Amino acid sequence: MATTIAGQDRLRAVTLLSPAYLWLTVAVFLPLSAMAFFSFLSDVPFGGRDWHVTLDNYRAFFETTTYATLLWKSLKLGLIVTAVSVIVGFPCAWVLAKVVKGRSREALFLLVILPFWSNSLVRIFSWAIVLRGNGVLDRAVNAVLPWDVKLNLMFSPTAIVIGLVHSYLPYVILTSYLALQAIDDSLIEAARSLGAKRRTILWRLILPLSAPGIIAGAVLIFVPVVGSFMEPRLLGGRLGTYYGTVIEDQFVAVFNWPLGAALSFILLAVVLAILAAASPILKRART
Amino acid sequence: MSNAFLAHLGRAYVGLILFFLYAPILVMAAMSFNASEFYQLPFSFTTDWYAKLAGNREILSAAWRSVWIAVIVTAIATSLGTAASIALFRYDFPGKRVLQVLLFPPIAIPWLITGTAMLIFFFGIGLGRGTPAVILGHVALALPYVIVVVSARLTSFDRTLEEAARSLGASPWQITRAVTVPWILPGIIAGGLFAFAVSFDQFVVSYFLSEPGDSTLPVLIYTSIRKGFTPEINAISTIIIAVSMGIMLLAARYSNFGGER
Amino acid sequence: MKRLLLTSALILAGQGAFADEIRVLNWQGYGTDLDWAIAAFTEKTGNTVVHEYFTSEQEMLTKLRTNPGAYDVVLINSAYTAQAKDEGLIDAIDTSKIAHFADLDPSLAGNEDLNPGGALYGVPWTWGLTSIAVNTGDFAEMPTSLSVLWDPAWKGRVSIRDDGLEAVQFAAMALGQNINEITDLDAIKAKLTELLPQITTFWSSENDWNQFMSAGEFAVATYWSGSASRSQAKGLPIAFVVPEEGAIGWLDGLSIPASSTHKGAAAAFIDWMVDPEFYVKWDAEGAPVSSNTKALAALPETSFNRKLVEDPATVARVQFMKPVSDEDREAYLKLWQDLKAAQ
Repeated sequence: MATTIAGQDRLRAVTLLSPAYLWLTVAVFLPLSAMAFFSFLSDVPFGGRDWHVTLDNYRAFFETTTYATLLWKSLKLGLIVTAVSVIVGFPCAWVLAKVVKGRSREALFLLVILPFWSNSLVRIFSWAIVLRGNGVLDRAVNAVLPWDVKLNLMFSPTAIVIGLVHSYLPYVILTSYLALQAIDDSLIEAARSLGAKRRTILWRLILPLSAPGIIAGAVLIFVPVVGSFMEPRLLGGRLGTYYGTVIEDQFVAVFNWPLGAALSFILLAVVLAILAAASPILKRART
Repeated sequence: MSNAFLAHLGRAYVGLILFFLYAPILVMAAMSFNASEFYQLPFSFTTDWYAKLAGNREILSAAWRSVWIAVIVTAIATSLGTAASIALFRYDFPGKRVLQVLLFPPIAIPWLITGTAMLIFFFGIGLGRGTPAVILGHVALALPYVIVVVSARLTSFDRTLEEAARSLGASPWQITRAVTVPWILPGIIAGGLFAFAVSFDQFVVSYFLSEPGDSTLPVLIYTSIRKGFTPEINAISTIIIAVSMGIMLLAARYSNFGGER
Repeated sequence: MKRLLLTSALILAGQGAFADEIRVLNWQGYGTDLDWAIAAFTEKTGNTVVHEYFTSEQEMLTKLRTNPGAYDVVLINSAYTAQAKDEGLIDAIDTSKIAHFADLDPSLAGNEDLNPGGALYGVPWTWGLTSIAVNTGDFAEMPTSLSVLWDPAWKGRVSIRDDGLEAVQFAAMALGQNINEITDLDAIKAKLTELLPQITTFWSSENDWNQFMSAGEFAVATYWSGSASRSQAKGLPIAFVVPEEGAIGWLDGLSIPASSTHKGAAAAFIDWMVDPEFYVKWDAEGAPVSSNTKALAALPETSFNRKLVEDPATVARVQFMKPVSDEDREAYLKLWQDLKAAQ
């Protein structure tokens, strides 16, 4: 009897999972496997080119310090952007979930994501107009302050972080909101009536219970930011070269897909290793 | 500090965040009414860019195409993603961890590489390009976001609710429809909103897989690499944001999905 | 309405061909996609035109490779024509189908990069220069040397494009090397190392460039001649300078993919693209230099391009860009990435 239920469950699990994963297999996993294969070749296997299997593309990563330096720079950028987004976004999610009541909550929920129904390049260019010297920010500050301030954040690491935090903040706000909103208010009331301080409630109750949401948001920010190149290029000026830039160059500036693919899979491996290393710590945070 | 004061402070903070999120959108909209083609200040009002846009069939048809593709992608990605999230939450089986980890490659690997890989693969298997290929690619890139977001909501789901329903004799489908889905609805909606955003801003896949003449808005914007885009693009973006905002606020007015209990 | 239909029917009958839809692969905003030009072509021939755009030459080749039959006309820079021909992507041009071919500058029509293996694979369409442009508000006197990019007086107000090959070529010119036969890569690396601290940002598109120039971020920056004429036409206070060290010359050709299914209509479109009637109108909006000598002769005396080609001293300094091997391209990119990563 137990085995038939397990059998039925298995059937249900397969029914629910297979559409999504079959889709991903055809459209992403198999194409990426082809790319992974290319990363072990000396040249692409079409257009009558000569190719053989090689590890040279992976070796290239270690032959100079350029790639490692840039990957490290990108990882740091990912950490900073993620940290700033979580610190800025979580309190906002808290207010949305626990302070705002009624219809305005739905409206705010939607308003948080609406800016992202626009084109990222247009948004980055708008940031450039805000941040550049004699731009919107510069003029606004000078209109308020009596003395003359020359504010030019453009083409600096700060500009890159502002642009990226802006692009990814909604992820952490919404995922934290989803987790916070699920916490029963009566639980918090109970803790309070037992004399728990605000800080204790935050650290011992709210953060552990909302950890899955925060973590999901953080991962959705960290992972793509490490490979980003558009925001750094447009907002960072000559300092805007990151790991994503050198990957892109292999496809755009030269025709070296094998090296570009190898650099991408190294990125993927490093990101997954970091997530794996962080997962025990994150699990402990949850309990 | 009183609770009421904290609540006010909190609302002010949310206002500040919204201001930050909308700052570039406001600038974008303002520049669509600014006479300078080079986005120069001081501001001088004009509606010329909207008049020009009205005569620009290429941008208008690309914008319309982007919208309906994003709607289809959102519908497919949200339903497939929600189903997969429920299964990942409800059942334990060998290989589950692998399925979860597999969601990361499409997020971590830059879209340029994934898009190039799709181009090569779709041609290798004879699928070629065209709207079906574009939708296939967009949905695949949106799915991981939907699954991660919906799963984040599910982790706080009380399993005993499902068990209670089951003990009352409800079938799994009934449980899903009457218990699970209502609870995770905010997550599904958030996932759908992200799926729309992913598709609507997706350049690489549309660039490689659209037929000539079938450009989407991001393709027009990103391929203007030599000349750059003009404030007409600001104008169309402003219209799209304004219309979406109208629809969303109406939706918020007449529905309840924020998870209010 | 009836009359309109009748007229179009007559036009079609007169052409003796039925209407085709031709597909053009080009940069966005680069001549072939001008609304009025397409409308005029459709009126003349009955054929309609749709466009697909690319964002880099590498991606243009990728699109040609993976989409056989999808395109009828493709813009290929002469430095890539031989590669496209060697991969079997494009066909030799039947010049008898191009009525204006006799009017094209013979030195361009006979350009060896457009004639790999002795046959014409790309109809010379336009050429232009990549050199420097300066803000006339900052420069009372025009600079005469490329060394202005390295001048400490303009530190933080210099810009070049984020392109390894182009950066290497500019450094080569500044050092007196031939851009097509670079001998001393170490000297170039040293020269570029000095250049980077001068740079405020890399520009990527014409609009970008215009924005930064008019906001005062740039005093001197590399630029394309066709874009410079367009920026001047829009009222930007800039001057295009061909310094004594020279400028990079490039030549763009229009080719017909081997897999094209509308080769007749494609040839008709290319013919329209080198028609003086088209070019004179395009030049008024800002264009590169036409390959058609009659088209250039028809330009007004004051035209930017007319002045450019009629100054033999300038033309003599231009170094036309030759094809670059994959190995060299990768070596230049590597050098450029190393320098940028060290910033």
